[in-house]
Amino acid sequence: MRAGTPKRWAIIALAVLGLGLIAAPFAFDMFARAPRGAQMIEAFRPFMTAARLDGFHADMDTIEAAAKDGPKVATSLFATAPRGAATRFATAFPGFARFERRWRRIYPDMTGMIDTIQHNLGNYEAVAALPSFTLFPWFFVVPGVLILVLVGVGLARAAAWRGLLVALVALGVGLVLAPVVFQMFSRAPDGGRMMAAFKPIETRARVARIQGYFSDIADGQGAVQLELIPALRRAGADASVISSNYPGLSGFDADWIHILNDMTPLLGTMSNNVVNYDAVAALPPFALFPWFFVLPGLLVGGFALAARPPRLRGRHGAPSADAPYPLTEGVT
Amino acid sequence: MTNQPLRRLGVSLAVVASFAIAAAPAAASSAKKLKGTFEIATGSYFRMAQPAAAGGGYFSNPYSTDTDKTYTLVSGGQNGGLETGKLQAAPTPGFDAHGNSLANLIITPTSFTGINFGLATVGTAPTISVKNGKLSGQLSGFTAEWNNQTFPQGSSTVTGTYNAKTHKYVLTWSSLISGGPFNGFTGDWHLQGKFKAS
Repeated sequence: MRAGTPKRWAIIALAVLGLGLIAAPFAFDMFARAPRGAQMIEAFRPFMTAARLDGFHADMDTIEAAAKDGPKVATSLFATAPRGAATRFATAFPGFARFERRWRRIYPDMTGMIDTIQHNLGNYEAVAALPSFTLFPWFFVVPGVLILVLVGVGLARAAAWRGLLVALVALGVGLVLAPVVFQMFSRAPDGGRMMAAFKPIETRARVARIQGYFSDIADGQGAVQLELIPALRRAGADASVISSNYPGLSGFDADWIHILNDMTPLLGTMSNNVVNYDAVAALPPFALFPWFFVLPGLLVGGFALAARPPRLRGRHGAPSADAPYPLTEGVT
Repeated sequence: MTNQPLRRLGVSLAVVASFAIAAAPAAASSAKKLKGTFEIATGSYFRMAQPAAAGGGYFSNPYSTDTDKTYTLVSGGQNGGLETGKLQAAPTPGFDAHGNSLANLIITPTSFTGINFGLATVGTAPTISVKNGKLSGQLSGFTAEWNNQTFPQGSSTVTGTYNAKTHKYVLTWSSLISGGPFNGFTGDWHLQGKFKAS
């Protein structure tokens, strides 16, 4: 090896690393998948607030209260013969009876789902605070290209190696620091936890099940407004009596449009983002993300330091006092 | 000489007859575009088929005025019905504060689970033709507007029947909903009434 020429194996390793970084997003299909992640994060943003999630819980509780009022209505309407009132109620109001029956499994399922989303609010916020997913593939490609360019310039202009190796060390340090700057060590695992928690929610089957619930709930509300409340009125109860004796029914009826306005967009967003979720889930685990920066960073820095020409090293690898281009210059 | 006029007449009749014979099948087989309004009358409806994973069957709309709540009956709006050759856009804003559609040109907005839906045509204007009493055409820009959302409900292949004497028509098509809260559901549309040429 000529004095002043960097070590060949280290330069080759740097070039391979650069190519690897450029290839990684293609290998993981990041250019297609990462923007889908960005779309998903953006689509859920309007719903991922404590107030909005509390509102969904309140919607479910409103419907639950209406379902619980059913037996009270049965007792009231069939007061003259309380025995078998429930059966006669179910016969007289089959729509509401069907809703009441189905609601028993809808309520725990829906509240469980909203609980899961609510518990992951912090995780969502952590992921949303990361740089946009759309940029992720470029976080690999840009350093990869920079490494190749610097190596290429060095091969074309041997005299420039000193500065180029310093730049490569700086690039390595930058890559190591990037996850720290973006708090990836805490946020990325949070994202991983969110993805794991949403796995049973963001599926085509689960969304279809909720679509089915929508039909059942709409049926129930229709029965309340068009059958039960008119029946109570016919039995002599005016609006104030219905409101005070059956707050669940009147609350459901009064809030229905709000519930529809509230829940339908969430259902639509869940449905539209099944493919986006799948794309993100197919990416490497979130917890590894910071290491995708740290490891290449360490390798780039390490190879650049190892590539130093012998004449730039002092004894035992320490910079020589007479070395014209101390490689550590400018590196902090 | 006296036979000459008769011969000419015969030749002329033969020519006319041959043209008539040649033209008759062409007239019968060429599709004629119906430009005007397909007025939406009683008997017109919308149904929404649910995918099996969502329970199957048809979505029940408790607010339907039909005895079978899976049928949502619709009636003509301010324009009387669906116009071909031109668009019937939704107004701006398209919805009131509760998400009720204000698109009232094609149909009178009708309650679907408590919120009114309306219809509009966007993009490509509808075209419908008749051939041998059969309707065909495209309604690719047909949309349903409900709860602050727009659902493309068009089709590139609508079918139906048309009686040229009575101007009565029946037009049907199905449209798979892709995306949104009703993703995977299929809208079945059945319009009937009279066609009024423009």
